[in-house]
Amino acid sequence: MMKKLLIVDDEVEICEFLKSFFEDRDYRVAVAHDGVMAFEQVGIFKPDVVLLDIQMPGLDGLQALKKIKEKYPKMKVIMVTAVETQEKIEEAMRLGADNYITKPLSLEYLEKDVQDKIELLAKGV
Amino acid sequence: MWRRSKAHGPNIEGVFIFKRDVSFHIKTPKTILKKVLVGLVLFFLGSLAAYLLPFLIPSARLRHPFFPILIMTVIFVVAYKPIERWVKKFLEKYFFHKKTFAQMALMDLASDLAVNLDLQEIANLVVNTFGEVLHLKTAALLVPDPLQNNFEVASAHGWTLAASKKTHLAADTPLLKLVHQTGPHVLVRGPILQSLTWQEANALARDFDALQAGWVIPLFVKGELVGLVAFGALSPDTVFDQADFHFFREFASAIAPCVHNALIVKRLKQFNNELQDSQSQWVQKTKLNAIEKLAAGIAHEIHNPLAIISGKAQVLLMQKGAKQLEPNVQESLNAIVKQTRRAADITRKLLMYSQGSRGPQEWVSLEKVLDETLALLAYQASLDKIEIIRDIDPELPRYYANVQEIREIFLNLLLNAVEAVGTEGKISVELKYHRDEELVEIVCSDTGKGIPAEHLDKVFNPFYTTRHEAVGLGLFVTKQVTHRYGGSIRVESQEGVGSMFILQLPCAAAQKAGGEKEEASILSNQRTAR
Repeated sequence: MMKKLLIVDDEVEICEFLKSFFEDRDYRVAVAHDGVMAFEQVGIFKPDVVLLDIQMPGLDGLQALKKIKEKYPKMKVIMVTAVETQEKIEEAMRLGADNYITKPLSLEYLEKDVQDKIELLAKGV
Repeated sequence: MWRRSKAHGPNIEGVFIFKRDVSFHIKTPKTILKKVLVGLVLFFLGSLAAYLLPFLIPSARLRHPFFPILIMTVIFVVAYKPIERWVKKFLEKYFFHKKTFAQMALMDLASDLAVNLDLQEIANLVVNTFGEVLHLKTAALLVPDPLQNNFEVASAHGWTLAASKKTHLAADTPLLKLVHQTGPHVLVRGPILQSLTWQEANALARDFDALQAGWVIPLFVKGELVGLVAFGALSPDTVFDQADFHFFREFASAIAPCVHNALIVKRLKQFNNELQDSQSQWVQKTKLNAIEKLAAGIAHEIHNPLAIISGKAQVLLMQKGAKQLEPNVQESLNAIVKQTRRAADITRKLLMYSQGSRGPQEWVSLEKVLDETLALLAYQASLDKIEIIRDIDPELPRYYANVQEIREIFLNLLLNAVEAVGTEGKISVELKYHRDEELVEIVCSDTGKGIPAEHLDKVFNPFYTTRHEAVGLGLFVTKQVTHRYGGSIRVESQEGVGSMFILQLPCAAAQKAGGEKEEASILSNQRTAR
């Protein structure tokens, strides 16, 4: 089965390079640009892992995280932030985020982290 | 003659000599008065004897015209000395108080103090002069401390330093109560203790012992007690007479206003300092808030484009299945990734500096954080020929702090050392625990190029750097973080030999902050264990 990844970021270019990066590594990738769209995509696409930006217009990353985790508690969510604000990170961890990384991203680290999460899912954790 | 002396003006020297000449015989008005009195008394006695004796003893010889002269001569010779002594005593008791050298010195001091406003200086002068000229064992000046509502030792002569720091007299101690009752009178230990019941005497004796004193002179200004001079003699037999006590009161009333003024000045200075402190704190806080907002805004606006730049470069670098990139292209892409990370570092550091200690705090193993940081460093810098020595105190306790901030401290110190060392050298990191002072000490030294003496005071300034590639926030942030934990940082360096950064973090404050949480977490662990 193919690994499925949903990338949520209001910056189109970020979504684009992440998409090409992960598609290059045999992922099925879907993209969303805001919280509402992300939540819809989660329902349709049923990704294994969601990369979720915190600062977004409309429904922001934290709110989206809450909704996703309420409906799909097993889905792995990695928060992506431009600003490493302690309060936001704590809030995200409290809401059930599985990890967080800061921009600019290290793709090497990101790939490893996504891989880890998928392995965890496979083990049913 | 007259014209000459007029032409030369008043002959001051002549007057002076004349005065000195006479003063050889008649020193003071007191001496003149004494001689006159003695003469009068002798004359009176002689006349009385010469007049009365012929009545009492009916003898023809006594009516001889020479007899009064004879009897007066006899009385003059016999009674002169005792009468002189008696007159002298009488005069000293009622008209002229005896002023010894010590008293003169002390009164001189009192008049000097009138123009002094430094409490410490006044206190030192008073106790030292008092102690030395009166040959006392101990002398101390106590002044009120309105914040603690007690009396503290401002200065002490013949005390150990520790005792003078430790000794306080609370406002409700028996001694101070007594002083308020008796007013400006000098308190003398022995007689007072004898006049009290044994419980009261015991309590009061304790105060006298605390002050190492046999006598206490209160200093009053308009009914307000502004200080106490407490002193003890070398010998237990030392006594002071009435004239001495009279002098002590005089001395007390002379120095009390000086002490009072100095106290007021000291308090004003304190208030002024507090005001300045809170003002600068406020300014600092406002500045930090502004920087935080700015940094957060910049970080958001800049990190996204940086993420795109760096991300696209990384995608190219890590492309699978494509043909190998040209070496120069690969190099450029690597540089792009590295430089974007560096740019993001600036805002990250600014943000960390401005956010204050708001990150989550926990009990941190400094050793573990150091090792993590060393591992991280290996990625960032080439450490091939750099020898890193770590020396960790086995007694090093865990430290209550924000891990991120501690990592920042280590990383900045180490990056700095790596930069100084260059390609080859030694870096040593020591973690020490000073149990007595409850301090954790981080010493990071290198065998690098060192810092020129004229730059030593600038290394902690923001945006100070000697590197082309650096921002100059590393040590600045390190210092800010250290200060946030109540610690201190300093640097010792010698050009061409190396530098040493010594960072001290107090445990007490950190443990206090973390102590409650520690207990709470132990409790919750126990709960989960059940």
